[in-house]
Amino acid sequence: MSKSYRDGLPISPEKFVDQLMRLKRGSIGRRDFLGLTGLGIATAVMAREIGIMPTPAFAAENLGDRMSIATWPNYHDPQTFENFKKDTGVAVEVNVFGSNEEMLAKLQAGASGWSLFVPTNYTISTYKKLGIIDPLDMAKLPNFDGSQEDPRFTSEGTIDGTTYAVPKNWGTTGFAVNTKKLTKPMTSWKEFWDTAMTEGDGRTMVHDYQLTTIGNALKYYGYSFNSLKQDELAKAEELLLKVKPHLFAVSSDYQPGMRAGDAWMTMCWTNDGAQLHRDIPEIAYVLGKEGGEIWTDFYAIPKDAPNKPAGYALLNYLMNPEVAVKEHLANGAPSTDARVNKLLPKEVLDNPILYPAADLLTPLEFGAAATLTDPGRAELMARFKSA
Amino acid sequence: MRAFVTAVFAFLYLPIALVVLFSFNAGRHASEFTGFSMQWYGTALSNPFLVEALKNSLFIATTSALLAAVCGTAAALGLARVGVRTRAVFDALIGAAIVVPGVVIGISTLVALVQLFGVLNPLLASIWPDDQPPRLSLGYGSIIAAHGLFSMALVTMIVGTRLASLDRNLVEASSDLYATPLTTFRSIVLPQIMPAVVAGFLLAFTFSFDDFIVAFFVAGAQTTLPIYVFASIRRGVTPEINAIATIVLVASVLLVVLAQWQLRQRKPAN
Amino acid sequence: MKRKTGGPMSAGLGAVFMRGNRFRHNFLTALLLAPATAWLVVFLVLPFIAIAVFSVGERAPEGGYQAAFTLAQYANLPARATAFWNTMMLAPVGALACLLVAYPVAYYLALKAPQRWRLILLALVVIPFWTSLLMRTYAWMYILGGRGIPALLAFIGIEDVRLINTPGAVLLGIVYGYLPLMILPIYVSLERLDRRLLEASADLGATPLSTFLGVTLKLSLPGVMTGFSLVMILLLGEYLIPTLLGGGKVFFIGNALVDLFLQSRNWPFGSAIAITLVAVSVVVLIAANRISTRVSGTRRVDLI
Repeated sequence: MSKSYRDGLPISPEKFVDQLMRLKRGSIGRRDFLGLTGLGIATAVMAREIGIMPTPAFAAENLGDRMSIATWPNYHDPQTFENFKKDTGVAVEVNVFGSNEEMLAKLQAGASGWSLFVPTNYTISTYKKLGIIDPLDMAKLPNFDGSQEDPRFTSEGTIDGTTYAVPKNWGTTGFAVNTKKLTKPMTSWKEFWDTAMTEGDGRTMVHDYQLTTIGNALKYYGYSFNSLKQDELAKAEELLLKVKPHLFAVSSDYQPGMRAGDAWMTMCWTNDGAQLHRDIPEIAYVLGKEGGEIWTDFYAIPKDAPNKPAGYALLNYLMNPEVAVKEHLANGAPSTDARVNKLLPKEVLDNPILYPAADLLTPLEFGAAATLTDPGRAELMARFKSA
Repeated sequence: MRAFVTAVFAFLYLPIALVVLFSFNAGRHASEFTGFSMQWYGTALSNPFLVEALKNSLFIATTSALLAAVCGTAAALGLARVGVRTRAVFDALIGAAIVVPGVVIGISTLVALVQLFGVLNPLLASIWPDDQPPRLSLGYGSIIAAHGLFSMALVTMIVGTRLASLDRNLVEASSDLYATPLTTFRSIVLPQIMPAVVAGFLLAFTFSFDDFIVAFFVAGAQTTLPIYVFASIRRGVTPEINAIATIVLVASVLLVVLAQWQLRQRKPAN
Repeated sequence: MKRKTGGPMSAGLGAVFMRGNRFRHNFLTALLLAPATAWLVVFLVLPFIAIAVFSVGERAPEGGYQAAFTLAQYANLPARATAFWNTMMLAPVGALACLLVAYPVAYYLALKAPQRWRLILLALVVIPFWTSLLMRTYAWMYILGGRGIPALLAFIGIEDVRLINTPGAVLLGIVYGYLPLMILPIYVSLERLDRRLLEASADLGATPLSTFLGVTLKLSLPGVMTGFSLVMILLLGEYLIPTLLGGGKVFFIGNALVDLFLQSRNWPFGSAIAITLVAVSVVVLIAANRISTRVSGTRRVDLI
């Protein structure tokens, strides 16, 4: 391979350096230089030969035939993507992640390959700051209607008047309990952690996600879910390390374990709680009375998305209330869009898992941007997992 | 002892049997067998991502194994011609390429390439004639190179061992008989080291085809079959993964049987 | 080029010829070694230098790497002591368990199995390698999970057994995944064994047990050591099996490493751990080599 590439070079290395120096001195135009040496073509050929050049960007209206989306476990109706493929010819690959940190890590390393992804509210400002996401071209999203969105949940998608992300749904973080196995009624994070070390020994799961796992451990002591204070985090770590040997698993995909009966209790997001309870009625969803997390997940488009036209097309498709309503029925999390809520059946709108009572909702906190990048919390979580 | 060996074989094949069984599952989940159906084979073969992952894996494994076989054999031949000191340095590097855990190879290659591209891409952009300069990024090239590193070291070692046991008298006799070095190489050396080269190629192919951890880090936006399977395990496995695994298994067993049969056909002639 | 040896040739001409010949010799050698050298430098030496540099750096505010010179990352290594400890414990235990299962199989294949079955049985050992390790491990997730063996046990009245996500499950996955790698080298060394030695030992009145201990086991030690160090080395960097069968609870150093890059985005600390892992691997390999040389008196067996 190295041989063929040398053959393709119409200029010797010495000459190249020579030309480069001349170019630097400004005695020759860049265009002239490349025309003169044929280096531009050679480099392009070379890059294609070696296969390290990504496929060229698609023309504006060409959607291509595939794209991938990064999202959360059990988060979409598979039928949605099949329908989208029928309508547009674009096949959608679904990549599933367990934490916002994992998505960020993948994007930071470059070339994630996603054309659409689902970040949580508190991460968007960091993505914008790091230049990882594009401002959304709202003209390409006619199905989105900002006036129908509930501002309580959707404000973080817009920074200084520019929209970087549009909401998918909101939800809460509580815990799911198999009430046949763990019969004692529970209402608080204190009971969650204590039970994990007693009746729930070897049967409890926590998220592989620093925000919720550390946050809910902080709640055991009544500290803020978003705390960055050293002494409070130290207490949380102490609790986590004490619980660790009693856990069944540290994973954000807890549905398989709960459904198979291996796990009896798990930290749980609204949507999973609703899905589990719908299929297995003895699994209950509980919000800790001390508080915890309330969140909104958004759709955003990475700056280096390989297929932006398809990303926009899918996003616009998902913003169609007719489509979104099916997504919500499958996913189970409450919508931020008034148009969708009008279409949802009454029993969904009355479901207390989706719409908790006000006294449970008030103490909940949105995640704070600082927690995403705080080295202390990141390292605490890593220590907990490797302990 | 026979009972024990039988039990071990059962242990080896129980999971494989399950993989194959669930490929015929009618249901959507790999966790509950609901009835017999062949539909997932159709689904698998019409899933563009799965097919692309399979194609990528085949392409990457073939390319990296071929490159490794050629470069590794050349290196082994070259090493037979150098002094002790050069050899020691080379042996150490080859040994390191084999011993360093895959996870470290993956991570360090990622780190190095991200830095390297960070320097090269602006450079490319500055000399590119229009506004759309090519961007170097992780992909086929980096997976092939990272897989090939281990494979090439493997081939160098295997072929080197073979060369060491090569009958030098034959080589000398050949050149005494005025054979050109090329003829000597073609008619004496190559046939003797060929089995080692082929073995090295096959090992390299198998390694690359099944590797997850190295590709996981250096694949960029590309998918290989193991990466796709890993993503499916997180997403919830559908039987189409089982179907692809079964196809790969049957294909490789067929290849081996074919190779054996070929060998047997050839033997009486010798 | 025809090379004449000892032909009548004037001294001056001979020297010129020799020089040209040496040049050609060196040029060809360089040509043969060039691709491998380039490969090793760009994809082994360079990455190693990169992580060595990173390992004395700092984590950037948003994660990643930021240039610095500090030994803080190395000082922080004890924070992963448990993962190192798990790896250093489970790797030899896993290799040993693998050996205990593999030896009788290799013994049977090499010495007891009927000749015409031998190749087929050997192929049966290798074939699992062609089904993705991921798929096979996934199958174990199912077998050990609540719908597998525990469901069967519940059927006969033993309730609530938990198998998945335990160190035992990880150990089983290790034995399963690496068994063929252990069987093959032992098989090779046993197959080369001179059967007349066994007969002689029996003729001299040795019991089968003392023949086994005194002759067979001793002569198969090179194969055992090869298999053992092979599996050990692979286990030191293991990631997949603990991830899938350990549920994020049984953490190897490989998992800690991946976690640092894919979750907490602490590249410098990850680099320091990677360097340490390489150092540990080298030490383990050298130790294994020493021991095998001392125990068996020979070098390790070559697989091919």
